[in-house]
Amino acid sequence: MPEHTDMPTEPLDSTAPPAAEAHPLTSLPTTKVARAARFAKTGLKVGANYVKHYARRSVGAESSTEDLHHANAAELYGALSEMKGSVLKVAQMLAMEKNLLPTAYADQFAQAQYQTPPLSGPLVVKAFRDAFGRSPYELFDEFDPKARQAASIGQVHLARKDGRALAVKVQYPGVADSIKSDIRLVKPIALRVMGLSEAQVRPYLEEVETRLLEETNYALELRRGTEIGAKSAHVPHLEFARYYPELSASRILTMDWLGGQHLKEFLLTDPSQAVRDQLGQALWDFYAFQMHTLRQVHADPHPGNFLLRAEHGGTVGVLDFGCVKEIPADVYELFTALLTPEALADENRLAALLTEAGILRPEDAPTQRAFYLSTMQASLELVGRPFRQPTFDFGDPAYMAALYALGDDLMQQPELRQQREPRGSAHFIYLNRTYVGLYALLTELRATVQTGAV
Amino acid sequence: MEKDRIKQAYLDYVLRKSTPPASVFKLTQKLGMPESEFYRYYATFDAIDREIWADFGRDARERAAQEPVWQTYGAREKLLAFYFTLLELLKQNRSYALWSLRTYLPKMPGLTPRVLDDFRQDFELFVDELLREGRHTEEVASRPLVQGQYPRFFWAQVLFVLGFFAKDDTLNFERTDAAVEKAVTLSFDLVGRNSLDSALDFARFLIRRR
Repeated sequence: MPEHTDMPTEPLDSTAPPAAEAHPLTSLPTTKVARAARFAKTGLKVGANYVKHYARRSVGAESSTEDLHHANAAELYGALSEMKGSVLKVAQMLAMEKNLLPTAYADQFAQAQYQTPPLSGPLVVKAFRDAFGRSPYELFDEFDPKARQAASIGQVHLARKDGRALAVKVQYPGVADSIKSDIRLVKPIALRVMGLSEAQVRPYLEEVETRLLEETNYALELRRGTEIGAKSAHVPHLEFARYYPELSASRILTMDWLGGQHLKEFLLTDPSQAVRDQLGQALWDFYAFQMHTLRQVHADPHPGNFLLRAEHGGTVGVLDFGCVKEIPADVYELFTALLTPEALADENRLAALLTEAGILRPEDAPTQRAFYLSTMQASLELVGRPFRQPTFDFGDPAYMAALYALGDDLMQQPELRQQREPRGSAHFIYLNRTYVGLYALLTELRATVQTGAV
Repeated sequence: MEKDRIKQAYLDYVLRKSTPPASVFKLTQKLGMPESEFYRYYATFDAIDREIWADFGRDARERAAQEPVWQTYGAREKLLAFYFTLLELLKQNRSYALWSLRTYLPKMPGLTPRVLDDFRQDFELFVDELLREGRHTEEVASRPLVQGQYPRFFWAQVLFVLGFFAKDDTLNFERTDAAVEKAVTLSFDLVGRNSLDSALDFARFLIRRR
């Protein structure tokens, strides 16, 4: 499949430096702005035809007289569809296709926020005055009024106090409000274009909206970042920023400035295999620990949220605890049970688990049921493979090829394409997103990881 | 200072009753001073309102200029800093500010209430100065025919911001902050060199060729 040879890098390509150059403010390449822009472009390239077909079909299926109306809505939601295309390939391995809609939906809102222009110097000063009654120049020994990086819903400034370099995140005013109103405004249109009914997708969208709103809550991020950082401190080769509550407020978050490079630039320095392995191992252990012990995961394992260094044989700095998914006990049981060899070997057990997860439904026709079962079995065999082996080589090109072949395969399935509603537990959205991101990081790192240990 | 006492008493009265005192006599009686003392400083209550607003404007300009980064700001940022400082002042006096805006701001947008007359004069001078500075740094395009109207254009922006502030019901007036940011960015995009200048230039070229 020559057209897919570039696929493994697609999700990571979204941090490509060239896009950042177009954005004068953000000299660092992994800004979310650049990422979002690139993301959309990637999606356009990969998934446009596929997605257009879908959009048109779902539009045409309803009524032809309302074509214009729908076309307008489709136009508005074009970007969303494109996003859907780009995440689709990899993510399909982990989820039933329609489950991804909420992820695309989340990304779409996120992108809308990223597109806000940078805050002006005076507004940053104002944010500080509102929060502390003092300007940042009084609060810190040094404060750079030029933002270093655009964060998801604000921007990051470099400051110094008592000889320490600090990263100060400042949130755009009224973001939480505008997310809420955007959701109210756009949801009906989105559902219409996708041909979905509100009732079917409500739990998924609620899950996404909760996460999005949580991201605007810096007090929560501070608490979670401090907590997860402290509890994960024993995981080797990880570095967490210390948060400073006395220098933080609802719209301002101050933490240590971590050193290191984002994945893309780091790989350009040509790190040795040993360093890659250690970095990969640190990431894997970090996620295994969060998953199995903390039961809450940093659900945004995007390359932009990790800083890599070759120091001490490879150190990973973890940023941005804005998106954290807490895993309820039953969901945890289900998720881990699905990845065991037993579930794979025993069809009845797998069917029982999938029914519990809401992927199989009692009212499904036998052929439908058999189809879902075999599809999920194939996906789980492949996706769960690292979990069933003591060590796993994420650099193995055969594995990536198999993953993408599976993705293509699923896309060709008429049964899946006709599926009109998402299935499965809403909690899986962010769990899937987490593991998609982690796999993407590890494959890009080409790391060999001890996966069975934990 | 008798003048300050009168101003303060008036302000207190308005804050308590949400309306000006019924007469000058009633106010001066409360203060235990002859009515004529009031007229030494002010002609009417409206004059006090005008002065309070002019004070807001002056304080905002002075405080904004005290910021250590003020000198490094361009014209756009200076105007932003002025607005944000002004909003901060208004927030500190929000009961009075909201009362007077809601009472005096005309229903028709674009008309200036008389209480803002003095504030307006100072503001237009301030903007004129900013724009001159901006023309030096080429932040603002030189358009001899129209640039005389710019202060009025920016005054309309002030009225917009104040109106927005008066109606804003978000926590801590966050939407007003965003409105200011966006309005000022737009206005400086308009007064800066933009496609309009190129279009005019092109049109002029075509006309001259004949």
